[in-house]
Order: sequence, then structure tokens, then C-alpha cells
Amino acid sequence: MIEFGAGNLRVPKLSRKVFLVGAGMTDFRKFYPEKQSTELCLEALKMAVQGMGLSPHEFRGMVNYAVYPQFADHFGDQLLAEAKIHDYLGLDPIGNVGVKTGGATGGTGANTAIMAVASGYASMVPVIGWERMDEVDTRQGNAYIASAACKDFESHLGWSYSTYYALMMCRYIYENHPNRETLAKIAQKNHNYARFSPFSQFPGDYTIDEILKAKVVSEPLTFLECCVMSVGAAALIFCDEETALTLTPHPVEVIGMGAGSHTLRTADRRNMPILLLPNETKETYRGRNLDWPGFTSFLPARFATNQAYRMAGITDPVEELHLAETHDAFTVSDIQTYEDVGFRPYGRGAEFIESGDAYLGGRLPTNLSGGLIGSMHAVGATGLFQLAEIFWQVRGEWEKIHGDERLWQKYGKTKPADFMSLQVPDARRGMAISHAGTGSHVTSIILERR
Amino acid sequence: METVKQRQKVVLLPWDGVKLTRKFFGKTVPAGVIVRENESHIVHHHSYGTLSRFFNELVLGRLFGRICIEKSCRAEPTWGIWLPPRVHCPDCWEEMSWVEVYTGGAKVYTHSMTNLPGAGFMLSTPCPLISVEIPGVCTKFMGYLSEFGEGEPYIGMPIKPVFRMNQPTYTILDVSWVPKD
Repeated sequence: MIEFGAGNLRVPKLSRKVFLVGAGMTDFRKFYPEKQSTELCLEALKMAVQGMGLSPHEFRGMVNYAVYPQFADHFGDQLLAEAKIHDYLGLDPIGNVGVKTGGATGGTGANTAIMAVASGYASMVPVIGWERMDEVDTRQGNAYIASAACKDFESHLGWSYSTYYALMMCRYIYENHPNRETLAKIAQKNHNYARFSPFSQFPGDYTIDEILKAKVVSEPLTFLECCVMSVGAAALIFCDEETALTLTPHPVEVIGMGAGSHTLRTADRRNMPILLLPNETKETYRGRNLDWPGFTSFLPARFATNQAYRMAGITDPVEELHLAETHDAFTVSDIQTYEDVGFRPYGRGAEFIESGDAYLGGRLPTNLSGGLIGSMHAVGATGLFQLAEIFWQVRGEWEKIHGDERLWQKYGKTKPADFMSLQVPDARRGMAISHAGTGSHVTSIILERR
Repeated sequence: METVKQRQKVVLLPWDGVKLTRKFFGKTVPAGVIVRENESHIVHHHSYGTLSRFFNELVLGRLFGRICIEKSCRAEPTWGIWLPPRVHCPDCWEEMSWVEVYTGGAKVYTHSMTNLPGAGFMLSTPCPLISVEIPGVCTKFMGYLSEFGEGEPYIGMPIKPVFRMNQPTYTILDVSWVPKD
């Protein structure tokens, strides 16, 4: 699609308000033989329900629909696994649906639940997402993920998404000339923030030199600049206003949401005029003579976020949002996303890092969760993990959750001696971007605490 | 007189035996936890349908794309050959026409290097992955460079296609690119 019709750019409007009232997750590991996916999903949902002060029986009596995001049946080797999870949670005969949109599966699961509540069909909807990526070795895991590229024309050329993102990275560096170190700083930031999370899989205090000299996965991307592959689960609970106010005086409202897509084959992306965000005008790109979206931008990230900003009435995201979670599958895709969502104009994403804006204490701290590079990428859970972290932040609960010694012990970890609170002071509003490779699907969700 | 009831038995058919995983990803499986190797070898019989001609032409040493001849689509600024080919035009949904792609102006649009490929990769490594820009083509065809030297590939590098005409794989690997000189 090159030219938009009025219907394409319609600003989403929910028929009634929708609130996030509970969030939970497991820890995330490369190899998790101790527990089956059913157990992990139950643990994540149990944490969310306990956080709401409800018993399982009370909660079960309130549920009227359920959503199950999981990226790939291949990984868990169980078709219709969502039926098994739903049954395991004792939620039969409530209606439910499995959701799949590649890496954006978690975000799409949340969107589906929000739409179910907003339409009036349901009043309380849990979303439980998970992935079990440890039944096969890493080479086979990469091949499974690359099965979500076009198998006729692209998968055979690498069987690895890092190679496809590295294509974008070379073009991004050629067009925009960021310092190579700036990209590595994204990895450094996220590995470091992961040190303060009991849930995280790959925490670390790395120097820029260590990141740049790490093993090259696909030139120029190094091992420390790529997301992890995880096993784990995350759960969110959405409900209508009437229900939300019986559960908490501070429910978190969905004030903006959007979804976008683009050709599965990166090859097939034709040029088009830049879709302008509320904080941009034609002047922003006067004289720009580069392809768009080309190989350096994600049309669906821009499309989804444009919907979300206009729905939420956001005109200056860096000022009006208090934190964000971006889908940092790779350092380069993160910097591309900063531009797609308007944290900086196209070509200037590096400034978002170099200015300090993206760090705790900056104007818009991003991926304080540790992100996909530092904390987790259990694909079906990822978009939910991001929203859970924002939920805790905007309710001022980050330290209560992440600083809890019992959680560190439960996951067999030691809380670091230099543990620090990553709570953003007075945070009320945050955005999560859920993204599928190489930008085939993206969702954008903006939450605000009442 | 008491009759003896005949009962059939159900037995395990001859099998190769079970393998239990003791260690994976460098981690020992905790005591008491069973991790069983579930093997699978599956053959899919995948059709290229109308796009079969694309792969048949590769074996003949020719690169074919598809182009839409509908008047409204021809007027679009991005009108051009689809490579990879699609049967139908995504804009007007009419069937497009086959056309041989002239690759005289082909050059590298961007590149990366496959160092650690996923399982099933059929080529040697390192293998340069490239996106190819071709005048008259509205896409950026993904492929690989089957010959490269120091400093190659680079963005803007002139290249030409070569074809695997003997022992074709009938995959996209039957076409690759080499430096034009």
C-alpha cells in the first residue's frame, strides 16, 4: 500500500475504557528443564492474580475470555498448546483464542484482549504468553525463527534473522553515519539494566570494547548486540472500568494503541512518502533524498505508533511519555525504532542515546527492564513482559517487585550488592513497542495510571 | 464346562530405544527431571505453483520477474518488475506477466555476512548476504555473493548474476551474484 485512504488512517477509538489491573511473569532462562510451559504460564498468571489480592477462585469467577500469545508451535512441538494451557489454568469452558504475529505476538495478544473488553464482549480478560525455545539447539532455534521469513525466497539465504538485520545495519550506517560505539551503547545499557532484575537472563556490566570485540554473529552485529532466546511466561489482566475500580484505586488505562504491518520479505518494500507523526511536519524532512521506509525504517512501527499517539493525544512523545519499552531484538533495530516512533527524526536516532534521554534520569528512559538484549525474548511473552514492566513503573511498584529478595532467591540468584532502584520518579505514562522481524508486524500500546 | 477367554495383547513395535538428555546448552539436567529426545524427520512436498517457472528459468540461466500491465498500475511512480516474482499484482489483484530481468545495472544495495547460520544452511561460510538494486525492478532482491575478495561486498558494487545450471537445488540458491568485473 503506497497511498493511504481516509479509512486507513482512522484514529482508533475504544467503545469503552479498558484498564490493566494485574501483571506477572516468571524468570527467563536459556534452558528450563525444571518446568513445563503449563507450569510457567500458571506461575505468571498466579503472580498477576495475587498482585490483585484475589484468590484463584475469585479470579476464575470473573473471567469471561482469555488470550494466548505464542510465536511458534515448532518450538514447543505441541499444536494447539493454548488449549492445554487454558485447561491447566482451570479456565474451561471460557472462550479463548491463540494469537500469532511473529515477534509482535505478545503485543498483538494484549491488543486482542483490549479489543475484547472495549467491544463489551468481555469484562475481564487474562492474556498469558510464553515460549519454550530450549527443546532444540541454538542453530535449529534460529532456523525455526527464520521459518517466519519467506521460505521460498529468503530463509535459505541464512536461516538466521541476525543476518537479515545486519543487512539493515549496513545500510543504516551508510545512510546515517552513527558512531559504531553508539549502537554498542544500547547493548551496554540494556545488559546493565538487566542486572537489577531478578527475571533477567543475560545481565552484565560490559565495556563498549567488550561489546564490539565479542564474537561476530553476522557482520557487523556482535553476540552481545543480539537478543537472547528464552524460556518463560508473562501474564496481564485487562478489564473494564467498573471491574477495575473494584480491584484497585490505581488501575492503569489503555490510552493509546495501534497495529501495523509490512511485507514479510524485506525485498518487497517499495518507496513511499514518509508518514508524518504528530510531532513532525513536511519541513522536518525537507531536502531528504533517501528511500523510505527502505531498509532503515519500519513502516509498521511508524503506522502503529501514529495511531497510538493520535488516540492518546500525544504530540511530543519525549516530553509526554515518562518511559518506554522498545523491542531491542538487535542494537540496530532499536535505533531504527527510536526514529519510527518519533523520539528523534529519521537519521538522528543516535542522538536519543548520546543525549542521555534513553537512560534513567534522562527525559525518556527506555528498556529499564533490560529489554530483549539483557533480560528475555521468550517470544510470545515478550510484548507482555514489556507492558508488565511499564505497569509496575507507572504504579510506583518497580522496586517492590524487582528488589524483593524472595524473588531473587526463588530464581536461584543473588541480588547484586550494588542493586539500585530503576523506578522512574513520578512515572504515570509509558509506551511499549512489540515488533516482528524484520518489521512485518508492530504493535504500540500506551498506558497511563489513574 | 468353563471356556477360556482368548485375549489379545498390545505390544510395543520394534523401535530404536529412547535417548535421554543429560546435558544441554552446557547445563546438566537436574536429577529427577526427564528430558527425552523426541526425534523427527519430516518430508514436506512443497509446490512453487505458478512461480515454478521462475525456478525452471534459473536452471536455463535466466532471471525472470513479473510485471503488472494494468493501466492504473503502470501510472504509479513505483511501477516496476517484481523480483521475487508474485503471480498477482498486490495493488489491482490482476495476474501479472512474466518478463526477463535485464541485470546490466545491478548493484549491491546493502550487505551483511552470514557467519553463524541456522540449521539447514546449504552454503559454506562466511557467505555475504546482499540486497540487489536493479534498474526497472521495484524491489531489492535478496541473494548472496558467490565470489568475493577483500573489501567486498560494498554498497554500490556492480554485480552480475550466475546460475547453478548443473545439479540445481530448485531453491533460491540456484542464482547468486559475482563482481561484474
